[in-house]
Amino acid sequence: MAESRMGFLIDTSRCIGCRSCQVACKQWNKLEADKTANKGTYENPGDLTPNLYNRIRFIEKDDGGGVKWFFLSERCVHCGDAGCMKVCPSPGALYRTNEGFVAFNKEKCIACKYCVSACPFNVPRYGADEKVSKCHLCSDRIGVGMAPACAKACPTQTLQYGPRGGLIAKSKASKKAVYGEADLSGLGVLYVLDDKPETYGLPANPAIPTSIFLWKDVVKPLGILGFWGSVAAVLFHYVTIGPKKLEGERSENGGVRHD
Amino acid sequence: MTRYVERFNTGERVLHWFVTMTFFTQILSGIGLFSRLFVGYFDLFGGGQGAILVHKYAGVLFLASSLLLFLNHRKEISVLDDDDRFWLSRLGGYLSRGHFEENNGKFNAGQKLFGMFMGASTVFLGITGLIIWWPLAFPRGIVQISLLIHGLIFVLFFMLVILHVYLATIGNPGTLDGMIWGRVTRLWAKKHHPKWYKERAGQEKTT
Ligand code: HEM
Ligand code: SF4
Ligand code: SF4
Repeated sequence: MAESRMGFLIDTSRCIGCRSCQVACKQWNKLEADKTANKGTYENPGDLTPNLYNRIRFIEKDDGGGVKWFFLSERCVHCGDAGCMKVCPSPGALYRTNEGFVAFNKEKCIACKYCVSACPFNVPRYGADEKVSKCHLCSDRIGVGMAPACAKACPTQTLQYGPRGGLIAKSKASKKAVYGEADLSGLGVLYVLDDKPETYGLPANPAIPTSIFLWKDVVKPLGILGFWGSVAAVLFHYVTIGPKKLEGERSENGGVRHD
Repeated sequence: MTRYVERFNTGERVLHWFVTMTFFTQILSGIGLFSRLFVGYFDLFGGGQGAILVHKYAGVLFLASSLLLFLNHRKEISVLDDDDRFWLSRLGGYLSRGHFEENNGKFNAGQKLFGMFMGASTVFLGITGLIIWWPLAFPRGIVQISLLIHGLIFVLFFMLVILHVYLATIGNPGTLDGMIWGRVTRLWAKKHHPKWYKERAGQEKTT
């Protein structure tokens, strides 16, 4: 991807779990509030929904001396090699913005829900309209030079938007490991984590699911070859070995049909 | 004695062509979902959502009719005898120009295998199709494997149908008559299905 690829860095070590980003996202994207249930934790809502593109995952870990909190902004991470785009049959329903993020167009979405199965991070959601919805990194803001709404609202600079290479270099300079630098051709959303990825519920080595890979990168091309191959094979058979003729049909009847 | 023997009755023929119609409806409505190369086929159904709608409901018709077709013939196709094994060992004589003496019953070994493949594939396409219909109701791993299997069987099925159509038409002159008019010439029957023809002829004598 181009040098000019933009990036979004989530430095979880700075996050205080205030959820300003959740609210700002709802406001900018005009998303309805969801009814939620109290599960006995501060985490709310408990999962991404069609009206919630970004939420703070609250992870409590008992490290002997007491409970430790981890906060993770969970959202579409805008994969360089995006499973959702790989499987989407409707051109333009999911598309890459000039900045390198994965945005969507509900009008082009045909509601097949393939992207749900293909996403390594289980991100796309479906509402009552049966159309895809997920974080599009405020494509309508960054396209005109503004920061994404969540980054704008974040009081601690946990969420930072800028040239991808620059964000990575800055983190490395301050000795922070970056999650997603090279996975899936590089994620557009990078994480700085305080613990193992698994602690945050992130896959250690994110990859497009194997069956999806076999489906789109093996069965599909071989299938198209197989189809034309079969047509070619039967035609070839016809002109070389030829049909099983009913020898004698003519001579036996003297060329005349007498029923 | 007429020149013909009956091969498929009206009900069998109507069912066969009904399955064919639903099968090709499935191919045409599914191909755009299979690869973006074929996105133009969505236009036949007024767009992708229309194609999906047709694929779902014609899919139910295909599942039901194809299964019925299989069940109707399951006795004729499920056992391979020695003649069938001989047929298979020579690949039905299709790979040489020489005369091939075959002793098939109503269906030859290739047709039997195609029939069994068709029955099994119909079931698998049906199961995976229903899972893909409601992807949010099943674990993600199951849906992912279903997408793979559905696509794989779709490909194999289509390839075998190409072969089937070839062998039933220009590959074996006289065969198509049986599925259109219901009757084939005695000559055709004696050559392609001698064992079946003898049975038939025997029945004709006793009635
Ligand atoms: C244009 C397409 C097709 C043509 C021209 C065609 C032609 C034929 C013919 C001539 C026969 C009789 C063979 C014999 O006498 O032994 C036959 C049988 C059969 N065909 Fe097809 N066929 C077509 C499509 C299909 C499709 C799409 C399927 C399955 C999905 C199918 C499944 C079968 C089966 C199971 C039989 C065995 C007996 C029976 O149907 O009663 N055919 N076909
Ligand atoms: S995280 Fe999922 S939805 Fe986002 S770009 Fe990657 S595959 Fe697509
Ligand atoms: S549900 Fe919509 S966005 Fe997702 S793969 Fe299907 S057409 Fe594309």
